[in-house]
Amino acid sequence: MTASNVNEDYFCLSQNLTVRAITVVQQELLEFLSKNNSATIGFADDTQVDLSFIQLMEAARIYAGTAGKSIALARPADGPVLNVLKRGGFLEGMTAEDTKFWLHEGGIQ
Amino acid sequence: MSFPDPIAVFRTEAAELLEQIEAGLLDLNVNLGDKDQVDAVFRGLHTLKGSGAMFGFEALAAFTHHCETAFDRVRKGEVPATQELVTAVLEAKDHMRALVETPTGDHNAMSEMLLANLRSAVDAAKNPGSAPALKVAPGQTLFKIRFSLPQNAMANGTNPLPLLDELAELGECKIIADRSAIPSLDLFAPTDLYISWEVELLTTQPRSAIDDVFIFVMDEMQLDVSAVEAPPAEKPAPAAIPVPAAAATPVAAVPALTPATSGPADSKPNKAAENVRVPAEKLDELMDRVGELVIAQSRLSQLAGGSGDLQLRAVSEDVERLSGELRDTMMVLRMVPVAHLFSRFRRLVHDLAHETGKTIELVTEGESTEVDKSVIERLADPLVHLVRNSCDHGLETPEDRLASGKPEAGHIFLTARQQAGEVIITIKDDGRGINKERVRAKAESSGLIQPNASLSDQELYQLIFQPGFSTAQTVTNLSGRGVGMDVVKRTIDALRGTINVASYPGEGSEISLAIPLTLAIIDGLLVRVGSGRYVIPLSAVEECLELSIEEDMRSRGRSFISLRDSLVPFLRLRDLFRTGTKPDPFQKVVVISTGSERVGLVVDQIIGDHQTVIKGMSKLHHDVATFSGATILGDGDVALILDVGHLVSEGQQQEAHLRAAG
Repeated sequence: MTASNVNEDYFCLSQNLTVRAITVVQQELLEFLSKNNSATIGFADDTQVDLSFIQLMEAARIYAGTAGKSIALARPADGPVLNVLKRGGFLEGMTAEDTKFWLHEGGIQ
Repeated sequence: MSFPDPIAVFRTEAAELLEQIEAGLLDLNVNLGDKDQVDAVFRGLHTLKGSGAMFGFEALAAFTHHCETAFDRVRKGEVPATQELVTAVLEAKDHMRALVETPTGDHNAMSEMLLANLRSAVDAAKNPGSAPALKVAPGQTLFKIRFSLPQNAMANGTNPLPLLDELAELGECKIIADRSAIPSLDLFAPTDLYISWEVELLTTQPRSAIDDVFIFVMDEMQLDVSAVEAPPAEKPAPAAIPVPAAAATPVAAVPALTPATSGPADSKPNKAAENVRVPAEKLDELMDRVGELVIAQSRLSQLAGGSGDLQLRAVSEDVERLSGELRDTMMVLRMVPVAHLFSRFRRLVHDLAHETGKTIELVTEGESTEVDKSVIERLADPLVHLVRNSCDHGLETPEDRLASGKPEAGHIFLTARQQAGEVIITIKDDGRGINKERVRAKAESSGLIQPNASLSDQELYQLIFQPGFSTAQTVTNLSGRGVGMDVVKRTIDALRGTINVASYPGEGSEISLAIPLTLAIIDGLLVRVGSGRYVIPLSAVEECLELSIEEDMRSRGRSFISLRDSLVPFLRLRDLFRTGTKPDPFQKVVVISTGSERVGLVVDQIIGDHQTVIKGMSKLHHDVATFSGATILGDGDVALILDVGHLVSEGQQQEAHLRAAG
């Protein structure tokens, strides 16, 4: 896991966002959010992704909502992330808030 | 005195309600924001449900309740009206008709399928980002699958994504992840699986194929599968194809014509006038009685005419006048506006637009034109064939239309008007027109005409009504098999009607049907040819002339008379009917016409006008082309009714041959 400080609230994820590495990602994200009021999540084009990452982001959105913080993706989901969203049935029945967060449609959350 | 069966009364009212619901849905489909139509459809469904329950149609009431609920939600603004929802309720409406007609039938499977489609349409309307609702077609099963894997599934190496992929490979699939169990990040065990899934799978595969997907995790997972199978179709339903987006595009109506998709004012339920509902068969029975009265009156007139009793003559004249008025009143009672006939084509065109992927707007005119009800009933099938043909072959695809500089939406114009005792119904489209070269080539290759035969355009176009004749390069489920147009021809012939075809390359084609206003009683001109008497429909008679022996002799071999500087061909009925009698010294020529074409009929004597009660020809004689029916005269003799259309056509052919021969 590497967290760079391109922007103050920028949180860059590692290239392995699968169940094998997800526990570490959760800890670091929690830590980051405890120090920042917002987090802009960045990920690489060739990131390895599975459902555990989507779950983690959903859990983070709930946490941010209850803790008065904000969280957003640095860019709309594409490539492997979008592929998992699609295969996993997350694109069906998305609310406006969901599409803002994942697809940046209608403005960034 | 018999009282009407309340169930029959309900069925009649239900049929009217269903028509109103359909009209409302079709209008709504054009303008999805039309709140008046939403209200109208809701009211129709509500009334149908209530009346159904009251008359013991429980299945109808229960089924309609779901559609009413869906529209109530639209009415309250909870769900937007969508084309999918309108289509689902339209299909449900067809099922309601079946529930009205056969309430004790086994409708459960169809009901479930349609309600599943309705629910999907409502869900899709609620969540516009979601995929279109899945629709079950015959042979398919819609599985509703809900499953959750063990919480430690991912930690144990089970990846749910390949399972979902396998499900998707079984058919058309709609997967929705249920994220409601995911906790907050600080309470979250990242390797646990919190997501469960709801899947709608439309497939031809059996249930066991779904179990096979989960075979390695079956013991620890929760799997709930319910199935909705498509029952056999209740009607030759159009294929369940998603509505093309273009179909929603309303196109400006052509000036001077009334779009069938007109505003609410036109499609409101019929005015609640002080009407009495009478079963159609009672009307037919009454018509038969009036027919018999007319025949008896005719006999009375004949007897009175031969008698010197002035009082009898006076009574006879009174009876003649009264029976004539009674006949006229009866004819008016039987006349119904063609609006009833035209309204069913809105649905047909709507469904055909779905099937063909074309954008089609139906424009109607002259709906108030009235025609005898039996004519209306028999016109329905030919018109269906013609409209289907126009939609399938006449109109181009949206891409082709745009490429040729036409608007994307094609138009079908359905118009009716009265003209000299006939109703003219025209089906016109603004498509590609009939390909004359292809018609000729097909006719030549099938031996219908000689190669390079000289034919007028009209003669060429009439070939499309030959049995098995089709120039379609592809056969679709709509048309193209050459079956149908010959049925149109046969039906119109049986109605004593004529068909006229016009086509303009690249601009469209037009088929006009000219049909007598009534099939029951006509005013006729009674004539004698040899020793036989015949009736010529008076509406077709233009004038009567005397044919002197000199003129008759002069015209031998040419059969033309000069009528105000124009030559009119004539037919000697004595020769045509081979009476074997000598001509009267002062023969008469009765000039008849159909539109612009005229022909003279040479008869021996004109007896006079005659109220003609039309009786059908026997099965043995029904294909004798020269006669369209028979009638009983006052003295009990039978007179044959001449088929004006056929005789004019024969006279015109004779003229063409003579002109060709110089």
